[in-house]
Amino acid sequence: MRTDKLKPIGQPWRELLLRLTPYIIAATLLLILPLFLPPYLQRMITKVLIFALFAMSLNLIWGYTGLISLGHAAFFGVGGYTSGILILRFGIESFWLVAPAAILIATLFAAVFGFIALRVSGLYFLMVTFTLGQLLFSLAEQWFHMTGGSHGLRGIPLPDLGFPFIWNTISWYYVVFLVFAICYFLLYRIVNSPFGYALQGIRENEPRMRALGYNTWLYKYIVLIIAGLFAGVAGVLFAHWNKLIAPVHLGLPTSLLGLLFVIIGGAGTLLGPVIGAVVVIFIEFYASIYTPERWPLILGVLFVIAIMFLRGGIFPHLVNLWKKVKSRYSYGSIKS
Amino acid sequence: MEALKVEGLSKNFGGVQAVKAISFTVEAGERLAVIGPNGTGKTTLFNLLNGQERPTSGRIYLFGQDITTMPTYSRTALGQARSFQFTSLFPNLTVLNNTLLAIHGTKPSRYQMFRPITSYKSLLAKTRELLEAMDLWERRDAVVKNLGYGEQRRLEVSLSLTSVPKLLLLDEPSCGLTAAESADMITMIHNLGEEVTVVMVAHDMDLVFGLANRIIVLHYGEIIADGTLQEIQADPKVQEIYMGVEESV
Repeated sequence: MRTDKLKPIGQPWRELLLRLTPYIIAATLLLILPLFLPPYLQRMITKVLIFALFAMSLNLIWGYTGLISLGHAAFFGVGGYTSGILILRFGIESFWLVAPAAILIATLFAAVFGFIALRVSGLYFLMVTFTLGQLLFSLAEQWFHMTGGSHGLRGIPLPDLGFPFIWNTISWYYVVFLVFAICYFLLYRIVNSPFGYALQGIRENEPRMRALGYNTWLYKYIVLIIAGLFAGVAGVLFAHWNKLIAPVHLGLPTSLLGLLFVIIGGAGTLLGPVIGAVVVIFIEFYASIYTPERWPLILGVLFVIAIMFLRGGIFPHLVNLWKKVKSRYSYGSIKS
Repeated sequence: MEALKVEGLSKNFGGVQAVKAISFTVEAGERLAVIGPNGTGKTTLFNLLNGQERPTSGRIYLFGQDITTMPTYSRTALGQARSFQFTSLFPNLTVLNNTLLAIHGTKPSRYQMFRPITSYKSLLAKTRELLEAMDLWERRDAVVKNLGYGEQRRLEVSLSLTSVPKLLLLDEPSCGLTAAESADMITMIHNLGEEVTVVMVAHDMDLVFGLANRIIVLHYGEIIADGTLQEIQADPKVQEIYMGVEESV
């Protein structure tokens, strides 16, 4: 007989409370706590959410599908640059026009990018994505009258929503949080769908997936486009929030940062990259206060520690810890 | 009706001719075993039949349709399925999820992006049926890499059967199994209906003798014998290859 079929008698509220605890903690942390934080921390958690969204999109192709890309920041950058260029160079002001256009361009760009990169696989895919990313980087640096060159596109205005809206650190946070929550929900649905399961199957054993009837190339292509879309959303938010987008945001440094978030948080888990973004951005912040020149060193050490001692990232370890806590406080639980 | 027809099929790897202009047909419902010593091109033949490799020349027809250049996944959609000699599963996923992937593989739902996979109740029920038939239902939440070898082999064959194939290609289905497990496998394949045509590659003679109603003997990429069990056993060339015949002095 399976022990999990034995339901504890009495105190159902306790079970319910225990089950809801992670959600209550998350909701409190994300919705109420920011109100009481100093503005610099409000700004920082906004940045965390933007990069968490970027990392989640990368995780979709890497953690779930097993494609390692060194050019993922290209989609982020295309989203950001497009919105900046549409406003500053073409004079389109409405956010409701600019944002969808920028996301669409980022998605279309991902469709072209993916079509080229997915001609090859494995290490070659890595190199093609790297090359395509660097091509775009050079373009952003050299197309001066459009992109502002190596200094980047400066003075991107606040989003014009078409109605009065006070943009301050906390309202920015809630706007970004709303977008993040919507994207998180969509990604949650995707990874739990038959399509999402197929992505994991491709990561695990692509030839077998083909033998089971899956057109694996098409899956990889579609998922790259979806990832491009979400990275584009993050890029649009970032450009407006940061008021500046520079070639570095679509080049290798940002792509590597994304990979770091995913590795530290936990590849192939939905929440992992979010936790990775929290950890890395906070460490970056404090380390750059105390040792402005050496913080990359600290990040490097963190990276090594994560790989050596936190196999699979922080998130799976947190889940295990939570399971232990839960079984300890769960009423009438049977431990075999 | 011809389930499978192969015409002048060849495959070269550089200078090596692994398969040399092979032709044969398989009638629907037949149980064909392809046997032969190691390195005679049996697995290459399978890879050609299932589309993992493209032939150098020749044509392959599945139920009359030319599938020579068709990708593997389209052949699966047409009713072909294969198992692999070396267990080919999804090692970090659970038994249940392995089977769910196999079930959705030939359904339009495989492209569904917003509906949870667990909400397909009828497919879930079918998954349960399949796993119970393989005696794996109790192990559904186990991660595949933690399964025993025999269990992995059973899952391997079960994944190939989920698409309800019309032509089943079995590559060494009893490879590495104990005698008892092998016997179970024979019963399982035997219980497949007449509507499933089976082509298998096997070393295990119990399996071949227990199941096949026709045998093809492959030697260095060529068919040297094709017939019923009795015909093959009586064939002098086969005896020469398998037993070795002393040269008369």
